[in-house]
Amino acid sequence: MNRRKFLAILSASGIVSALGTAKVAKSAPHTFPYYEDSYGVLHDTTRCIGCRRCEAACQQVNNLPMPEKPFTDLEVTSTRRRTTAYAWTVVNKYEVNSRPYFRKLQCFHCNDPACASACFAKCFSKLPDGAVVYDGSQCVGCRYCMVACPFNIPGFQYDLAWDPLVQKCTFCEPRLKEGKLPGCVEACPVDAITFGRRSDLIKIARARMAENPGKYVNYVYGEHDAGGTAWMVLVPAAGAPAGPVDDAAVTGSEMEQMGLDAHLGSQPMGELTYGALGAVPMIVAFWPVVFGGAYAITKRREAMNRAAAEAAVNDARNDVAAAVDAAVRKIEETEGQAAADRARRAMTEALKAREEEAHGGNK
Amino acid sequence: MRKGTKLLLLAAVALAGAACLSALGCGPAMAAPLEPTDSGAPSAIVIFPVGEKPNPKAAAMPPVAFNHVVHEKWMSRANKDCMVCHHTGDPIACTTCHTIEGSPEGGNITLERAMHAVKIAPRKDGTPSSCVSCHENTMKQRNCAGCHGQLVRNARESDKWCVVCHSITPRMTAQQLQAGIQGKLPDGVNEQLAAETAAARPHTKYWSPMVAPYKVEISALSGKYEPCVFNHRHHVADLMARVKNSELAQAFHNDPATMCVTCHHHSPASTTPPKCSSCHSIGIDKEHPGRPSLMAAYHLQCMNCHKDMNVARPRNTDCTTCHKLRPVQGASK
Amino acid sequence: MESQGIIIPTKDKLFNIEPLLTKTPGNLVTWAILGIGLIITLIRFTVGIGSVTNLDDYQPWGLWIGFDLLCGVCLAAGGYFTTVAVYVMGMKQYHSAVRPAVTTAFLGYAFVVVALLYDLGHPLRLPFMFFFPGTTSVLFEVGLCVATYLTVLFIEFSVAPMEWLSVKFPWILPLRKWVIKITILLTIFGVTLSTLHQSSLGSLYLIAPEKLHPLWYSPFMPMFFFVSSMAAGASMVIFEGLFAHKGVHQYMDATHLREADGVVLGFSRAASFILFAYFMLKLIDMLVQANLPLVLTGYGAWWLVEMLGFVLLPAMLYAKGARDGNVQLCRYTSVLTVMGIVLNRFNVSMIAFNWKLPSAERYFPSIWEICISIFVVTMIVTVYRFIVYNMPVLYEHPNFRGEEHD
Repeated sequence: MNRRKFLAILSASGIVSALGTAKVAKSAPHTFPYYEDSYGVLHDTTRCIGCRRCEAACQQVNNLPMPEKPFTDLEVTSTRRRTTAYAWTVVNKYEVNSRPYFRKLQCFHCNDPACASACFAKCFSKLPDGAVVYDGSQCVGCRYCMVACPFNIPGFQYDLAWDPLVQKCTFCEPRLKEGKLPGCVEACPVDAITFGRRSDLIKIARARMAENPGKYVNYVYGEHDAGGTAWMVLVPAAGAPAGPVDDAAVTGSEMEQMGLDAHLGSQPMGELTYGALGAVPMIVAFWPVVFGGAYAITKRREAMNRAAAEAAVNDARNDVAAAVDAAVRKIEETEGQAAADRARRAMTEALKAREEEAHGGNK
Repeated sequence: MRKGTKLLLLAAVALAGAACLSALGCGPAMAAPLEPTDSGAPSAIVIFPVGEKPNPKAAAMPPVAFNHVVHEKWMSRANKDCMVCHHTGDPIACTTCHTIEGSPEGGNITLERAMHAVKIAPRKDGTPSSCVSCHENTMKQRNCAGCHGQLVRNARESDKWCVVCHSITPRMTAQQLQAGIQGKLPDGVNEQLAAETAAARPHTKYWSPMVAPYKVEISALSGKYEPCVFNHRHHVADLMARVKNSELAQAFHNDPATMCVTCHHHSPASTTPPKCSSCHSIGIDKEHPGRPSLMAAYHLQCMNCHKDMNVARPRNTDCTTCHKLRPVQGASK
Repeated sequence: MESQGIIIPTKDKLFNIEPLLTKTPGNLVTWAILGIGLIITLIRFTVGIGSVTNLDDYQPWGLWIGFDLLCGVCLAAGGYFTTVAVYVMGMKQYHSAVRPAVTTAFLGYAFVVVALLYDLGHPLRLPFMFFFPGTTSVLFEVGLCVATYLTVLFIEFSVAPMEWLSVKFPWILPLRKWVIKITILLTIFGVTLSTLHQSSLGSLYLIAPEKLHPLWYSPFMPMFFFVSSMAAGASMVIFEGLFAHKGVHQYMDATHLREADGVVLGFSRAASFILFAYFMLKLIDMLVQANLPLVLTGYGAWWLVEMLGFVLLPAMLYAKGARDGNVQLCRYTSVLTVMGIVLNRFNVSMIAFNWKLPSAERYFPSIWEICISIFVVTMIVTVYRFIVYNMPVLYEHPNFRGEEHD
């Protein structure tokens, strides 16, 4: 094994160790200050009747453009719609074991939002009242927030040339400040969306499950998913009461039928990248050392090679000189001083000529 | 002439009203003696807690007088055979295998479980029913589902519920009870006691719909829509008509206010129940964050009952069927 | 000694742009593409992104990110790969490959930024990330590293234009000396930054496990992106050589031509090792994540096409080519490898992304997006040609011969 191979192995192990460190960092407890008294909304899909009142209210309080089809057209709930830059909430119909249920889609207002973690210009912030809000004045328009959002919520104004922004539900933050309810919550005729402190809502959700055995899947979607969300969803149970299983993966089928991804895990999505980001200082510290060392080794090797070559040349030169001396002495013994001098001169010139030739060729 | 017609009409209406009142308000005060069964089995039997340890002061829970003939007739009407209850195929007494402590013959299923279990594991050779599971299944039928679907819960937790079945004529002596527990009571005595108890069971008379308001105007929330006029009496009368012939309902609806407390819930039964808005506030209720708002309370009560009873019209999303849209002046703001 | 075609710009005739202006078929195509590109550019910046792209809310990143950014950065990895080999590892025999590699790397990164301006909603606000640094964002790290590395590459590359311009502006010469002095510093800085952002391009997708197919999603995506970028770097040096020998052969001096075959074989050997390593990493990652059942699905077949046809096959072809001294085979393999890298980046960013969506809602780039990507590549080629025609990239400038060796 030569030095180069050794270095290659060294650098490879460097990457591995850096990423290994990252793994350890990932398992550390997160330090995001979850806001204790933050608000949330509990969406009970068994109550929702698909009347689209929330959509209409959202359009009205946020001054959004009117949709193509009026809010009284309830057939559109059968199509698979998503939130866009101009419709911050939509109600879709889902079949759970061929029984129709409705679910309202809007920003979940994560406790530790992926969009905020992904934004490189700090446009998103989680407020103490629970809302995840967006400030478009510093948005670069990279749309990484949309890639990051596990719920496919933010929409982008692709149709605008001059000031295209990302748009999403604001939890009616301006209305919350005035002490009003979010527009959709106020409009809901059946309290399918219940506003309250997030901690209270979890208790309410559990109480509803206890009072109605077999009615709900025994899982509050959003309590822990993606690090926990302010908006949480109760999902109808498909048939017989599911046993005491409190696990998203197990209760996947009803969740899936309701279009909810139960496999997001309980970590905030941003944490998935913190390992890699944690490796950055490691690489910044380690790489210059590795490559500086490699450079030093290379330089040292070159110097040693040069010295060895010079020594060899000197040795050869000395050998030649000794041989010339011996030959001259022999000539002197046999043919006298004058012949010896002549021979020495001729041999020196020949050597010099050869050396010059060699040198020139090298150049 | 004109005046006379009017008076006559009034008199006719009053008469008709009185007739209706008496017809609706008067149920049979006492059940007739039991008919014989078609199968030849006793019309009623007492199911004793067989296997109970000797208890001279009488067992804590009174035995059940089982009205066999009512159940048998219901089974034949529903095209079911004896196997529903006598799941072994033998028409033997339940307590032969299912004793208080359980026995190997009964699969170690105790008498209490055999009668009350609601979550029964499916079997290959037919899944047996308990009393309670069968009753609960029956309540899923359309006529019962409005109240017993979403709205009435936890009935099983009340004491009144136990005593409907667990009651026996006071003429039963302690000796008879001990003999029954040991399985030594002669069949004749058993049937006699059961028939007496069954015959003595009271039949509850509901409060008449006439004591309730005819129409209720719900105006607390009117704004975009005009007040909703709720035909209260029609709803009560319809519900009563639906359960009029149900022996199950007659046995268990043991409170004159039964038909009221489904909607007028969480408050003592009364002919003047509190207004919905005394608990359900119009906006958010900080003290009770889980409590539906007034609008949601109305809608949830109405819609859930209509949904469970398969009332096709009005659809949940047809707002104007129940409340008319106000003229445009309100909509503009 | 020297090829006859090299035109050394002089003080009186600084620019040699005739080759770009003659009406050869290649130039005509170039003009046409640039013309169309300018028109689409105009539409993009006056009517909006939606007018020329098929991007939607489900697929906010399409071809411009998948190709121009991910592939652009990855394929510009030749810069750090070659400089590290020559300056850090002391492989002087590849010295003539450094300048072309640094040039293409610089152009690659510069045009990544240009292409990014098309994709951003607010291109003028790009510097905002330094004013409001979102330090939890992988994209911030990418942006910071790319910006810094672009500067480093610019300094590394600046030697060539300085040598070119020094005939007219001799005051540049001390600056050039200074840059050459810090070459090793720039190299090490460059490889550090490259490691960071090449891997970070993979980290970008770590945040979306629910959207990317499990065969491509892995907690080790950063490492996959970095390792494959090394293979891409080596392959791109060979790949560019393939085209340079076709197009601008007359601008290569004797040293470049003499060393060219050695560069191809040496880099092929390196690429072969790296591709084998990459294949094993991906294979083991697939096994460890228990994704074997997924290999039997449709996406699994596609994954196998990528892994066998575009990773394992080039690895073996490179090994054979390097062993037999078959330069031609190595050059064709480099084409295959580059295609494989592009395929991988397309898979991660588009094909296996949003794989759960019904096909009607999936993304396919519009013709105009493809045009802009071709437009950007054409711009790179044109600027490369301009540089090669004027600056000492493929040849040593006679005024500075042999200076850089020590």
